[in-house]
Amino acid sequence: MSTVLQARELARYYPVSRGFLKGYAQVRALNGVSFELDAGRTLAVVGESGCGKSTLARQLTLIEPPSAGSLILDGVDATTASRQELAGMRTKVQMVFQNPYASLNPRQKIGDQLAEPLVINTGLSRPERIEKVRAMMSKVGLRPEFFYRYPHMFSGGQRQRIAIARAMMLNPRIVIADEPTSALDVSIQAQVLNLFMDLQEEFNTAYVFISHNLAVVEHVADDVLVMYLGRAVEMGSKELIYTRPLHPYTQALLSATPSIHASERRVKIPIRGELPSPMNPPEGCAFHKRCPHAAERCRSEVPELRELDGRQLACHRAEEINV
Amino acid sequence: MNLLEINSLSVAFGSTEKPFHAVDGLDLTVRQGEIVGIVGESGSGKSVTMMAMMGLLDGQGRITAERLQFDGKDLLTLGARERRRIVGKDISMIFQDPMTALNPSFTVGYQIMEVLREHLGLKGSALRQRALELMEMVEIPAAASRLDAYPHQLSGGMSQRVAIAMAIACRPKLLIADEPTTALDVTIQAQIMDLLVSLQQSQNMSLILITHDLAVISEIAQRVAVMYAGQVVELSRVPDIFLSPAHPYTEALLASIPEHSKGARRLSTLPGIVPGHHDRPVGCLLSPRCPYVQDSCRTVRPELTTTSAGAVRCHFPLSGKEA
Repeated sequence: MSTVLQARELARYYPVSRGFLKGYAQVRALNGVSFELDAGRTLAVVGESGCGKSTLARQLTLIEPPSAGSLILDGVDATTASRQELAGMRTKVQMVFQNPYASLNPRQKIGDQLAEPLVINTGLSRPERIEKVRAMMSKVGLRPEFFYRYPHMFSGGQRQRIAIARAMMLNPRIVIADEPTSALDVSIQAQVLNLFMDLQEEFNTAYVFISHNLAVVEHVADDVLVMYLGRAVEMGSKELIYTRPLHPYTQALLSATPSIHASERRVKIPIRGELPSPMNPPEGCAFHKRCPHAAERCRSEVPELRELDGRQLACHRAEEINV
Repeated sequence: MNLLEINSLSVAFGSTEKPFHAVDGLDLTVRQGEIVGIVGESGSGKSVTMMAMMGLLDGQGRITAERLQFDGKDLLTLGARERRRIVGKDISMIFQDPMTALNPSFTVGYQIMEVLREHLGLKGSALRQRALELMEMVEIPAAASRLDAYPHQLSGGMSQRVAIAMAIACRPKLLIADEPTTALDVTIQAQIMDLLVSLQQSQNMSLILITHDLAVISEIAQRVAVMYAGQVVELSRVPDIFLSPAHPYTEALLASIPEHSKGARRLSTLPGIVPGHHDRPVGCLLSPRCPYVQDSCRTVRPELTTTSAGAVRCHFPLSGKEA
């Protein structure tokens, strides 16, 4: 298997105004995240709003340059690449957004929107483009007559299919999906998730699947990266993370996820408070204010990511609390 | 004792010759101190039902019902003035998006106090005292200083707590929560759900919880009404409805949740979408999508019939099958 995506200590800082004439402060939205992704695999990124999931997506899709660290896409380092190289790399990584009502152009026909990536990035003639678009439409389950329709004529589920088709047009190596089903009903969500799985099987695409819905993540992911305030707190295979989460935050997230059957419900771990502001992160472990196991050391020293029990983990007290 | 009794409630929109029934012959009862869940996909009429009952439809919809009784009073014949005395006091509602439910131009304290002034006639320091008490009841930290905060200064979870404080300000007999946690993160969702249940128990309120998340309902509700295209298709107790659903739609809805397909590559799906304005079938509304459809389903619309567990609207209800 080949590695298509490698992030090393990827970071992104944003300047934030402190007020009139008071200068700027720095928000560390993404604060050193590393992972590798192989072709045909799915990495799920989970965490609460404000944890840096979407900032990560913006770095991976080359929409913004990272402030620090490196990003190697299909063998080429994006942080040192030339403009031409970057343009070539952008065809290899595509994105599917959360809200299919906002991500499609309301004034353009579906067929034209799907052909646009081909117009920009390939030298195909118009008949060739139309043929490719029609082939992709049938793959994602859109009827051929939809070619001449506008986005408002479709339901949410169909629009998300169109968005997925557009992302797949250039046969990318990597697709970043940012909460692709959270705006959809459960029965439509199931259809869209199945489509993702089918396309991955056919094209061997690697997915970075960003979601806060842990039940969905459990279904699609091979590996899981749990983020908290811009940092990875736990990362490993889905089986490990779901059967034996070691970080108190992962445990709290899983226990907070409701379940239909009483037998599958986990013991509820009460977690107080909310995500602290990234403008003013707490000293030491970012999670210590909400952590039921926080000790003196957690308040002063930032835990580094380390190897433990087959996964990576950032917690001082993991051994003590998981006996 | 039944606090709320709804008998064949219909809400029609559009022209009188070709009306569109967003709610079509809905029956529902809610007992004192009971938690009833209403589930269904977008467009199934969940919210319109509650808006119609509260009189919030603003003259756009034509509401008809055999019976619409709350706490011994007939809501249908009530004039606007008397209705306003009940709505917001004895029946109150919290909405999906706390950011838009609050007025951005007034402090949250003012908005809570407005309810108290309007319905209970409180004044001066008693008014502020009660508002503070309510903020503490919904577990807002540093409540005294937050009274003078504007909605934009609060997070989504905090805003929802303020909305809940406003809703319970007059000790309502019935609280309607319309997707109260859909816009929130899982850890905050768990906190808000705990808060709602503890308030419901301490005040002996009845709670109607509208959601599309079956797992949330299964954890807190006592009875569930499943809605499809404006009708209740199944009414049953928890957990029976999740163990052996009687209606094919309930079964399909349950099967499409990732939790039910653990280990499987594909999720089971219900093909197609909810019928809209123009394509409602003559017979059973589910007939175009139902896997068990028979000839009679296509021509005769089934009635809601009482069963041992509750009620079901199907010619051929499923019996004793694991979903």
